[in-house]
Amino acid sequence: MNNLKVVTIFTMKEMLKRKSFIVTTIIILLLIILGFNIPNIINFFNKDSQTAENTELLIVDPNNIFEGSLDNLNSMNLGYNVKVSNENLTFDDIKSKIENEEIKEAIIVEKTSADTNLEGIVSENSSSTNVSSEGLDLGNTDNINNANNLENSDGIPNSLDENTGEMVTNGKSTCKLRYIVENMAMISTIPEDLLNAINTVYTNLQISKLGLTQEQLNSLTPNFEYSIEQTEEQEVSGNIMVIMLLSIVLFYAIYFCAYQVSSSITTEKTSKIMETLVTSTSPKTIVIGKTIGIGIVGLIQVCLFVAVALISAKLFLEPGILESVLDMSKFTPYLAIITILYFILGYFAYALLYALTGSTVSKPEDIQSANTPVAILAVVGFYLSYFTMMNPTSDLNVFASMFPISSPFCMPFRIMMGIASTIDVIISIAILVVTILIVANVAIKIYSNAILNYGTRMTFKDMVKIYRDKNS
Amino acid sequence: MGLKLQNVSKTFIGKKAVQDISFEVDKPGVFGLLGTNGAGKTTTIRMLLGIIKKDSGEITWNGKKVERKNVNFGYLPEERGVYPKTKIHDQLMYFAELKGMKRQEAEEAIKKWAKVLKVEEYIQMPAEKLSKGNQQKIQFMTSILHNPELIVLDEPFSGLDPVNSEILKNVIIDLVKEGKYIIMSSHQMASIEEFCSDILILNKGKTVLQGNLKEIKETYPANRLEVSTNINIDEYIEDNNMEIEFSKNNEYLIKINSEESAHQLLQVLVNNKIEVNKFEIKKPTLNDIFIEKVGE
Repeated sequence: MNNLKVVTIFTMKEMLKRKSFIVTTIIILLLIILGFNIPNIINFFNKDSQTAENTELLIVDPNNIFEGSLDNLNSMNLGYNVKVSNENLTFDDIKSKIENEEIKEAIIVEKTSADTNLEGIVSENSSSTNVSSEGLDLGNTDNINNANNLENSDGIPNSLDENTGEMVTNGKSTCKLRYIVENMAMISTIPEDLLNAINTVYTNLQISKLGLTQEQLNSLTPNFEYSIEQTEEQEVSGNIMVIMLLSIVLFYAIYFCAYQVSSSITTEKTSKIMETLVTSTSPKTIVIGKTIGIGIVGLIQVCLFVAVALISAKLFLEPGILESVLDMSKFTPYLAIITILYFILGYFAYALLYALTGSTVSKPEDIQSANTPVAILAVVGFYLSYFTMMNPTSDLNVFASMFPISSPFCMPFRIMMGIASTIDVIISIAILVVTILIVANVAIKIYSNAILNYGTRMTFKDMVKIYRDKNS
Repeated sequence: MGLKLQNVSKTFIGKKAVQDISFEVDKPGVFGLLGTNGAGKTTTIRMLLGIIKKDSGEITWNGKKVERKNVNFGYLPEERGVYPKTKIHDQLMYFAELKGMKRQEAEEAIKKWAKVLKVEEYIQMPAEKLSKGNQQKIQFMTSILHNPELIVLDEPFSGLDPVNSEILKNVIIDLVKEGKYIIMSSHQMASIEEFCSDILILNKGKTVLQGNLKEIKETYPANRLEVSTNINIDEYIEDNNMEIEFSKNNEYLIKINSEESAHQLLQVLVNNKIEVNKFEIKKPTLNDIFIEKVGE
């Protein structure tokens, strides 16, 4: 018992002193802090562009197609300071304004020469200095009938073609928007929200002319109520995507801690210290002490990550964001204890498997290939849990929460989703514990013998022989 | 009292590693375990340390069966090993604690042995910074730190320079004086001859020779004559039907069949007024005996 403590403490000290361990821990901590700051970083740069922002945009509408309604763009929070001009400004005029930094961008609203219909209307309007509202009243049925050549007889508002910047009515342009910027390097089209806003302004303009009643107007703006229902009886709560993300975190935590056991054993084998070690204490003490030592360090590390993540979330995230993706009420002490328990058990199962494979090699270059079977088991276990989580009420997910290679990555999240009964949890833990005991028994036996085998890598056949050999 | 092995055998998956060996170390001293590579020395050592189980036979220490749990022997394995990244002090402390020492006790022992083995300056360094010879001394410290009564040394001198070999020899002599039982396995016959009162030679898992080294040598007739003269004496040697094994600067090592033939040669040399500076009839060395027993 005392030796178990000695081995455990020595292993912990060795782990904590390892440069790679320290560096990895610091990097991950920084990444966590950075991760929680991503929204702030994005905001920072956005704010930057918003304060320098509100791009000065001049919209030149010499033909007054929009009838002065373009001013409404300023109230739509588009990030533009929109000035509207009805003067007939040329490209060169705008160019000089941009060069003088009076404005940043400009849009010239032009009638399309291709569309005779529109031209007809516009030219008719343009003939008078005071543009009459009827002149552009495309929705006015009288006008349409009169004009006859307009095909948009159903009163559907015209829309802007995003690609050409021309307002299109059933394939024919209402007008053309010339978007003028200083440099086209970063811009290939009119920003979508600006285009939509112009569209809306135009549509509203036309609707307002229809002379609709309030009721008719309301009926144009949909406001749906909705609810979601499921046919299965079990209710799943929580954001599946977030839960899957947490499952990945748990998987990596278990997997990488367990992997350390293998590398620790192989290091002792390759440095030939094993033989001194096994004459100092029993292999059982070494395997278990090592596993516990690395496990404690791993658990401390994971707790540190979680604590830093939670503190970062509190400090750096705007209130409410965390709650919106994670139902914090689900993080009960029960769940915390169960998750830690599964971490510990899952870690033990994989760590002992790694102890087994780690002791079959004596050269560092063999570690990878010897560990492959365990890595495959872990990946299969993880994906079994991960993919069935998309359908948490499926039988396969229930199986994954029981099967010992996948249950540590699966059961905590079934509990979090509120679909695991206490009996399920007890059965799952029992299966896992029994598996650990079996693996421990085999691992210690193989370890006891394999450690003194300095030749080639042990084969699976050798391992079976050793396990069966009662005298060894 | 002491260590006793009776009819001990071990078979590894189909291969007989050690067959029916027996020996006893009943008083303090150095016992030599010899054999070629793969003869079964390390297997024997591992069995008597309780690292591997024997198939049959009995191993007792002070009358009690040897099991991993109740042995507290000191062991310097043939495979040298240290934790490369760990401070010497920390690894010595680790093994001392595993052997049941209190920290304070261990600190004192580390201090004492570091001084004796002249490694004080390295105690706070990671092992990888030490030379191979110094790493070996550290490992030797690991095996004796906890003051064990039985110490097993597997090739203790391999890789040590003459200065360090001398330090180690003196320590071994002191340990014997303190009443320790030491089992030494080595290929260096000279060091075995220097230390061991009793030996056992293994060949292919079987004992081929065992007993008191001096008594064994007594049973072998003299087989060599060492002569040093002032002139070349090749012709006299040939006239006496003797074979020169080695000669250099009028120093000769001559194979002889009996002590008589040596005396005859001396007579001839004296009669011819040749100055004889050295005349020594030699018993076979342990090396000769070893090669004769296992060399075929």
